[in-house]
Amino acid sequence: MKNPSENTSANVSTNTCGKCGFCLAVCPVYSVLLDEKASPRARIQLIKVFSEGKISSSPLLKELISKCLMCGSCTANCPSEVDHYSQFMKMRSEMIKDHAEPIEIRGLIYLLAREQRLKMAASLARVGQGILPKAFAEKYQLGNIALSKLPDLNSRTFRSQVKKETAPSGKERGTVLYFTGCATNHVFEQTGHATLKLLTHMGYRVIIPAKQACCSIPLLFHGAEKQARENILANIACFDGEGAEAIIVDCPTCGSTLKNEYSPVLERAGKRSDSAQRISRKIVDIMSFVHDRLELLSIDRNKADAAVSVTYHAPCHLKNVFTPSARVLQQIKAIQYLPAEDSQECCGGGGTFFYEYPEVAAVLAGRKINNAQKSGAELWLTDCPVCRINLAGQQRDGKHLGLCHPAEFIATLLE
Amino acid sequence: MFNNSLKDRLITLLGRENVLDSIEELSCYAYDSFLEESLPEIVVLPKSTTEVAAVVEIAATNKIALTARGAGTSVCGAPIPVKRGIVLCFSKMNKVLEINTRDRYAVVEPGVINGDLQKKLAPLGFFYPPDPGSIMISTIGGNVALNAGGPRCLKYGVTMDYVLGMEVVLPSGKIINLGSKNIKDVTGYKLSALFCGSEGTLGLITKIILRITPQPETARTVLVTFADLDNTAKAVSEIIGSGILPVAMELMDSITIREIENTLNLGLDTEAAGTLLIEVDGTAETCRREMGRIVEKVNDYGALSLQEAATSAEREELWKARRFAYPVFAKIGPDIITEDVTVPISKVPAMIAKIREILNAHDIRAGILAHAGDGNMHPLIPVDKSDTEQMKRVNQAIEEIFAAAVPFEGTLSGEHGIGLAKAEFLPLVLDDNTREFMSVIKKAVDPDNLFNPGKFV
Ligand SMILES: Cc1cc2nc3c(=O)[nH]c(=O)nc-3n(C[C@H](O)[C@H](O)[C@H](O)COP(=O)(O)OP(=O)(O)OC[C@H]3O[C@@H](n4cnc5c(N)ncnc54)[C@H](O)[C@@H]3O)c2cc1C
Ligand code: SF4
Ligand code: SF4
Repeated sequence: MKNPSENTSANVSTNTCGKCGFCLAVCPVYSVLLDEKASPRARIQLIKVFSEGKISSSPLLKELISKCLMCGSCTANCPSEVDHYSQFMKMRSEMIKDHAEPIEIRGLIYLLAREQRLKMAASLARVGQGILPKAFAEKYQLGNIALSKLPDLNSRTFRSQVKKETAPSGKERGTVLYFTGCATNHVFEQTGHATLKLLTHMGYRVIIPAKQACCSIPLLFHGAEKQARENILANIACFDGEGAEAIIVDCPTCGSTLKNEYSPVLERAGKRSDSAQRISRKIVDIMSFVHDRLELLSIDRNKADAAVSVTYHAPCHLKNVFTPSARVLQQIKAIQYLPAEDSQECCGGGGTFFYEYPEVAAVLAGRKINNAQKSGAELWLTDCPVCRINLAGQQRDGKHLGLCHPAEFIATLLE
Repeated sequence: MFNNSLKDRLITLLGRENVLDSIEELSCYAYDSFLEESLPEIVVLPKSTTEVAAVVEIAATNKIALTARGAGTSVCGAPIPVKRGIVLCFSKMNKVLEINTRDRYAVVEPGVINGDLQKKLAPLGFFYPPDPGSIMISTIGGNVALNAGGPRCLKYGVTMDYVLGMEVVLPSGKIINLGSKNIKDVTGYKLSALFCGSEGTLGLITKIILRITPQPETARTVLVTFADLDNTAKAVSEIIGSGILPVAMELMDSITIREIENTLNLGLDTEAAGTLLIEVDGTAETCRREMGRIVEKVNDYGALSLQEAATSAEREELWKARRFAYPVFAKIGPDIITEDVTVPISKVPAMIAKIREILNAHDIRAGILAHAGDGNMHPLIPVDKSDTEQMKRVNQAIEEIFAAAVPFEGTLSGEHGIGLAKAEFLPLVLDDNTREFMSVIKKAVDPDNLFNPGKFV
């Protein structure tokens, strides 16, 4: 075991926390476990006493720090501007040095660190999915989610299905770059096609840089900062440039990472971050981009009248870093939008959280599912692929609400 | 003191996940929103009165100190286990057991968060008036044990005014029931009042019957600025003196406003020497009439600007500055002391002047905030508790502020309680006989001094 007095290397500043407790009120994990040790305030305190050498690194300390969705709600609501997010990230790296991640998580990091590996794994899995007996898929679970409820992978990667550059359908208004993210590329190609359709419909030329890599957030959460840096540099190389009006993301978590995490990671490594800051200013989620240009959308009245009613789940990274898409659903009057009373609450997906802490995730998802079903809507919209997998997968048999990205729904209403 | 067999008994009683004893876990129960810290030896999270009573019995038999905890938002160190032992946290006893709008009461477990109760009452057209700034996280048990107040207590009264009855586990392990569901009840001593503000030193409150009230038809809010702080305070006592009873009258001095504006950019007037946030509620007609009279009064005292909120969203905006005052100062800190001296309303102008004078004399940069309508001062003093020289100055100033309240017939704490912060100053406002009477009660109920030892009795 490490000598506690050496912990100062963690050097994580925690001293602006006045312990007011505001963050407890917004922490989804605390709302389920109701134990101070599962609160953001406690995590900040633990990092502090660890830095002061009063406690040493231990598997329990690692668990207390990591039993967190990294949803950012504590940071967004902390009046004293405590940066939980960065402190947690650093502390996670520190803990992983001493206590390795479980093998499945390490495998995931290995895959996400290289686009090539990910592609290969996905195509292998695709073959696997084809030959897996149904009984096997029913029996085996990822967290609480039966394999049979996981979405199928794209038959080919989304990026290989579309051109590197797509021209607008009507009058040209500008050019945007599109960061497709791992989920759209490998799992939800529908989201990618819908995003392209919306953008070209509104008059934008869409460029999808070929060399883009995983945004890196899973790597950062699991302490693989060095691998993350390589991806970040690759992404900066393909997205930093003149000409494009915006960099579009369809996944809020990729978006918040590109927007907020690239500069600090580079700075921590002693590198210049001006390119990361330029990118940060251009990042926008597809639904906010649409919201700011609603007049460019031509909604087909007949299609809208025939469409199903929808409800909405606001992903944490969208609500804490951007703005939830409910405003678009509200403003397009033709849409029959039935809000759920807790549409802003967290679903417990949290990257790999639903897999690592299924008992907490099940409670959070259960509340959401209950309220979404109560809304009476026929379709459930959410922008984040992990929320989507989590909320679809955690629904027990019986009434099942389908889920999709708001872009997919709105794309079906266009003239 | 704490051996493994006791721990095993607690685990058998409560389940493994409800008994915490590793240094990592204990570190999470060593603090509240005040400055001090002290590690407990064990933390338990019971789920029922039976479990609470069983834990108390173990503590009593083995003479182990036991400190109750709600959400740990006390700003006076009340739930800090200075004598170590057991921390018993009520966060998992969080069920609203009954809401009865016909008979106007609610029965709750102590771990229910105040704001969660409000969310359940609102759709029924009711509310529970006590609204501490920590409303979204502090527990009803903690509110009762500290007799919490809040901005709207000016009109509606404090926690104690809403406690009809309660179930309590005594240090002996016996369970008693005080009060009833009746609005009027003079059957014997009003013992539930004794437990309001008892800070966990007499018993553990395991169930509470609260009075609830229908929501007023509407409310009106105004933010007024003044060029002169003395006039700001005088306007407050003039309005109260003229017979109007607003829901809230919150006063902020220029330092407070400047710091809030720096952080939140709300467009506040940072030049004003004093700012008042005034709210009235009732029927639309009463609100209009009362607001009219208030506007007249503040103009008499030289109001510079008046900003009235028409919608509830606008009201929220006006309240935002006030709500964020505490955390904004906490950030400057890094730590913060919120003082809480209280004086009769007519003494508010003089007391504010006195506080400012004392702070200046000790070269302390602090904001002055007050629930001015009920005389409750909240100087917000950012400190760095590791800076011993600064802490010495601050402690000296606080002592002088307490002393200054005495000739005004004021008191040490309006709502935050005594805890660790003010225990040594009790003799300033409570004479020997009175303190002895409190000790007699404490000794009779808790002869071994097991419940929250090291505090004010
Ligand atoms: C930002 C901020 C704003 C605040 N604003 C206000 C305000 O406007 N007005 C105000 O009055 N206070 C305010 N406070 C102080 C604090 O929130 C209140 O005193 C609140 O009542 C404490 O509740 P808690 O659940 O956090 O209790 P804790 O802090 O956990 O405990 C408080 C005391 O109650 C005892 N206790 C807790 N539960 C029980 C129980 N079931 N039985 C017996 N004893 C028990 C504890 O032993 C302790 O002595 C504020 C605090 C903060 C951080
Ligand atoms: S909200 Fe911020 S200041 Fe308050 S307890 Fe949480 S981290 Fe600390
Ligand atoms: S990031 Fe989310 S889950 Fe983690 S501590 Fe903050 S609020 Fe809780």
